[in-house]
Amino acid sequence: MPAQKGNRTAPKALALGLLAGLFGTHSALAGDTSGSMRVGDMHYGNALDPSGWASMLHPADPDGTSYLHAGMLRTPTGALYPYPPQVDEGKPLGLGDWNYAGLLQLGYLHVGGDRNAEYFRQYADWKSGAVLGLFALEFHNRRTGQYVELRGSRLGGDDQYYRLRAGRYGSYRIEGFYRDMPHTVSTRAYPIWNGVGSTDLTLPAPLVAGASTPAQVAAASAAAPRRSLGLTRTRAGLGYEGVLYRNWIGSAAITNEKRSGTRLWGGSMFFNFPFPDNGGILETVRPIDFRTTDINLSLRNVGKLWRFLATYNGSFFRNHKDHLNFESPFALYNVVGTPQVADIKDGQFSLEPNNDYHNLRLDLTRELKWNGQFSVAGAWGTMRQNDALLPPTTCTGTGGIYIAPPADYTFQCANWNTTAALSQKSANARIDTGLFDARVTFRPTPAFGWHAGLRWYREDNKTRYLAYNPLTGQYGYISENGSQGSVVPGETGIFDPANPLYWSRNVTVRNVPFGYTDAILELGTDWQLGRKSSLGVTYTYDHNRPKYRERKRVDEQRIKFDWVSRDVIGATVRLSWEYAKRTGDKYNYDPYVPFFSRSLPGFVDPANGLPAHTVADMRKYDLSDRSESKARAIITYPWGESATLSATFYGNRDQYDALIGRQHTRTTGATVQWDWQPTPATTVNAYLGAETSRLGISNVNDADGPDNGAVFGTPEQVNPNLGGPLYPFANQWWELDRESNRNGGFSLRHDFGRVRADLRYDYNGSFGHVGYSYATIGALATRDPASVAAAAAGFPDNKYRANTLDLGLNFAVNRNLGVRLFGRYQTGAFSDWHYAGFDNTLSYDHRLYTDKGGQLHYSVSLVGVMLNLKL
Amino acid sequence: MRAIPFFLAAGLCAMLGAGAMLLGTRDVQAQQAVGTAAPEPQAAPAGTLSQSDIARMLPATDMGAGAARAGHPHQASMGDSPATPFDAASIPANPLAPDADAIGAKSCVACHAQENVQASHTLHVASFRAGAANTGPQAACESCHGPGSEHAKDPTAPGLIIAFTHDAKTSPQVQAGVCLACHAGGARQHWIGSIHQNRGLSCTDCHNPMARLSPEGVLAKSSINEVCATCHQDIRAKFNRRSHMPLPEGQMACTDCHNPHGSITRPLLKTDTVNETCYTCHAEKRGPFLFEHAPVRANCLNCHDVHGSNQQTLLVAPVPMLCQQCHTMTLHPNDLQSAANLGSGPFPDERLMGRACLSCHANIHGSNNPSGPKFHK
Repeated sequence: MPAQKGNRTAPKALALGLLAGLFGTHSALAGDTSGSMRVGDMHYGNALDPSGWASMLHPADPDGTSYLHAGMLRTPTGALYPYPPQVDEGKPLGLGDWNYAGLLQLGYLHVGGDRNAEYFRQYADWKSGAVLGLFALEFHNRRTGQYVELRGSRLGGDDQYYRLRAGRYGSYRIEGFYRDMPHTVSTRAYPIWNGVGSTDLTLPAPLVAGASTPAQVAAASAAAPRRSLGLTRTRAGLGYEGVLYRNWIGSAAITNEKRSGTRLWGGSMFFNFPFPDNGGILETVRPIDFRTTDINLSLRNVGKLWRFLATYNGSFFRNHKDHLNFESPFALYNVVGTPQVADIKDGQFSLEPNNDYHNLRLDLTRELKWNGQFSVAGAWGTMRQNDALLPPTTCTGTGGIYIAPPADYTFQCANWNTTAALSQKSANARIDTGLFDARVTFRPTPAFGWHAGLRWYREDNKTRYLAYNPLTGQYGYISENGSQGSVVPGETGIFDPANPLYWSRNVTVRNVPFGYTDAILELGTDWQLGRKSSLGVTYTYDHNRPKYRERKRVDEQRIKFDWVSRDVIGATVRLSWEYAKRTGDKYNYDPYVPFFSRSLPGFVDPANGLPAHTVADMRKYDLSDRSESKARAIITYPWGESATLSATFYGNRDQYDALIGRQHTRTTGATVQWDWQPTPATTVNAYLGAETSRLGISNVNDADGPDNGAVFGTPEQVNPNLGGPLYPFANQWWELDRESNRNGGFSLRHDFGRVRADLRYDYNGSFGHVGYSYATIGALATRDPASVAAAAAGFPDNKYRANTLDLGLNFAVNRNLGVRLFGRYQTGAFSDWHYAGFDNTLSYDHRLYTDKGGQLHYSVSLVGVMLNLKL
Repeated sequence: MRAIPFFLAAGLCAMLGAGAMLLGTRDVQAQQAVGTAAPEPQAAPAGTLSQSDIARMLPATDMGAGAARAGHPHQASMGDSPATPFDAASIPANPLAPDADAIGAKSCVACHAQENVQASHTLHVASFRAGAANTGPQAACESCHGPGSEHAKDPTAPGLIIAFTHDAKTSPQVQAGVCLACHAGGARQHWIGSIHQNRGLSCTDCHNPMARLSPEGVLAKSSINEVCATCHQDIRAKFNRRSHMPLPEGQMACTDCHNPHGSITRPLLKTDTVNETCYTCHAEKRGPFLFEHAPVRANCLNCHDVHGSNQQTLLVAPVPMLCQQCHTMTLHPNDLQSAANLGSGPFPDERLMGRACLSCHANIHGSNNPSGPKFHK
């Protein structure tokens, strides 16, 4: 830091000392403050200018970067560097060493056509009106390397950013920012409720909770106004990074994020599909009212031999709306036909709890002989929350079903709609993580190197919860706020060892504290084959021990070959191929017994036994045996002096050893790109890409009806085997998701002198088809002739397509003033069978949907005029 | 609509800027006060290129270079220099020209005038210049390109200067070593052994400190995402699918999640695991919840393709197919939903329509409700 003058007063010295602490020390050795390790906020831009800087790029310098050769140089891989912009020396600020330069771009934007198309405004707050294209102001001190930079842009109230950076290169940097980022979830939402965005959705008159007919609901839905759902992220932060003392570099940052808005959500009042005019399936709207505060601290030391890095990341999430209550319009009836004693008409969700997160990590690296390096990292983290728990239900009065003595399946809501019904009042949830990572690398000769690595990671879930009601002595919970048990006798969610009606109910009584320990060993070597080629081989052994999962051990071995050449007919080629084989110990299709009431004393096996938890041949795809191969080629070919041709070819093949579950995936794709910059005034780009993918699964319908086996409810329901009575081969089915993606486009930019023109066209098209086959119609969800006939037609194709044409003209009025005219025309098409029929109605018996999905077709235009004023 | 903080922000920024400038002015004064001592001339080293040689070959140059350096030229003149800390950057040895000597930036600029114009406009090189202005001619160009005397004698012979471009004879390892001499540690702590290092990438594949092509980061293109897409074209294409993160809209960058300079994870994540990266922006998913969903807690990628998807919310497969890969049990999750069960079919079924399974199991990422073990509460 600057020498303190002896004649300064104590307060001044103290103030300067504080400033030094804040803004770094200046006589320290070399320090680099450019390396931010934080997640997020690495880039500022918007849909108007994704790079966040385009308007600051002046016309290309006709002299390129050198008088010594024509054209532009290429990256080591072979891609052309763009022509640099003409240098703006800036203007002197006073008589000192400071210069400044800047730009103010203001203008007007007009949006025409289907401006509310969901996929047009997914992450952009497009609207007609004044926009701030860019405000950039930079001050540099050419003598000291100090700088101050301001940058901002505003597309709309929910789409803007402003950032200030200042510092001294190699010494310190301070940063402050504010930004709003929009996310449109739906622009064709028709929620019927009052209170959208709040924690309480209430029905508008004349609808009455629990007492409205489907026709009344359909009418309300048809009359509901269209609205948009979405949220805005508002982030603000402050950060500092700089040299603290000698080689010690520190950083500190705090970021505060507020997310506010709405998202589509669910609402279940029990099934409708098996029970016409019964149950309730609701697509509701939930509020988003989050605040997250992140604190990031780091301290590092960079020496010639040792490098030390300590980081602390703290994140504190707060949800200001921890629940969602909703009124259901539909009446419920019990399936046994007795008078309905329950009046269940409301539903409730707990929304995400607050949480605190801390992570402390230490990294240590040492240079070794033979061009070696040893690196070790250790981390400890914890995520915790202890939010107050909501009562198991919000119902009042009596729930359940009364048939006749002793078949009294009712329950008193008062015994469950209070937190006194809980074994604990708060979640007391906690997961701790631990990490150890060590790796060593040697390159004893330029032609040969090897490395070894060991990584160990554990996630330890310490959350323990027992679903026990001290008021009743019963275990379990109230399913779907009481609606399930008020439709089907006994399906309340309760286990009661003292009540014959409930002592055979196998319900969840404990949480499952999932966790895992993962150890990875890696060994690799590489050879330099001549000056321009290398070959590498890496072997990886991944040993995973999941807790409370179907397997206690999952092992994967992987070998990867990669070859790099910088001179294959002048091109740089990077090839890689890897093969992996995953296996594990015995697959236990039902490891969850300890978490269900069947594990509790007093549980009585039902007369017909418990239905099999699942089919024994199911293999969950994150645990199943699997063979995998991947190949990739990335080619960069310098084409003449002024063009680059680059291409990527890739493919993945995964084969899962599963009769039931995911069976295979495969992806094949290619991209080709051509970049041409024949002169500083002209740049051209064209690209094409195609990718196809397949995902195949199989499943089996259980014999739950008279038309597909009717084993459910019989003693044979305990048989878990595929091909057995409950899961007969006749009920097996297969599904194949095929997706095809195409993209292409071109761009052209030419500088005519006082006028610069840019033209760009992009096409993206994705097509998806889900096909299915089945052994017999016993696999189908509905098996009447009409359904069988309709099933034969298959799902319609899904598609998502967008064509975007951009045209821009820049006029230089004088040295300091310019005008930019630009336009965009975009068309899009969308279809997804999830929304089939929704354009006609959102109401289907006791089902009510809110979102109609994206527009089937849209076209939208943007026209803008911007004034560029050089500051 | 949110309050528009532009004028407030602009005013605040102006005040902050003014404050920084005042602080800068004070720095300058302090430096001027202590930076007057010029380094002592020192004996020229033995070398194959004499000052007179260079003087003959080149236009007017800073010929004090040889005299300024002793056995440790770049250290010798540091002392109490007020120059920027990068003035301490050492001059790297060039394995292909081991006998070369430093000749000073002015000699370089004599030929590389246009490079000088462009590079000086970047803060990176400008800072070298700021340092060199105070401590002698040895910094700047040769801090990256190595000693230039051999190159000056035979400018067209490849390898006599450390170069960072496609035709350079300098190996990527040497190129990276030059940059890491100053930029080691921090975000680059794990460069050695990273996938990008193993695949022979050089720093200048992504960066170009010789021209200002990007607002920051001395990138080789105008934005981070464009740089990454140079090689990862297929990933860029995925970001244009129906559901994606807002990279095409300029709201995010690849480096928000990935550290291209290396990390302790295979996909170069900035955090220890996939989930921790996701939780950074989706902190509400972190929980922990009273009732957890196993694949969610294990890895977000079990269900989401974070680079882009043709399904809603980045899902890897359409619902209910996604869920039916794991769930078979009695009564409802394992029926084959067919076209008959669409909203337009003869028997609409909530297990297929709209959000399908998620219509009921909405809290699929975990439930904190005592009645939420099946995530519909």
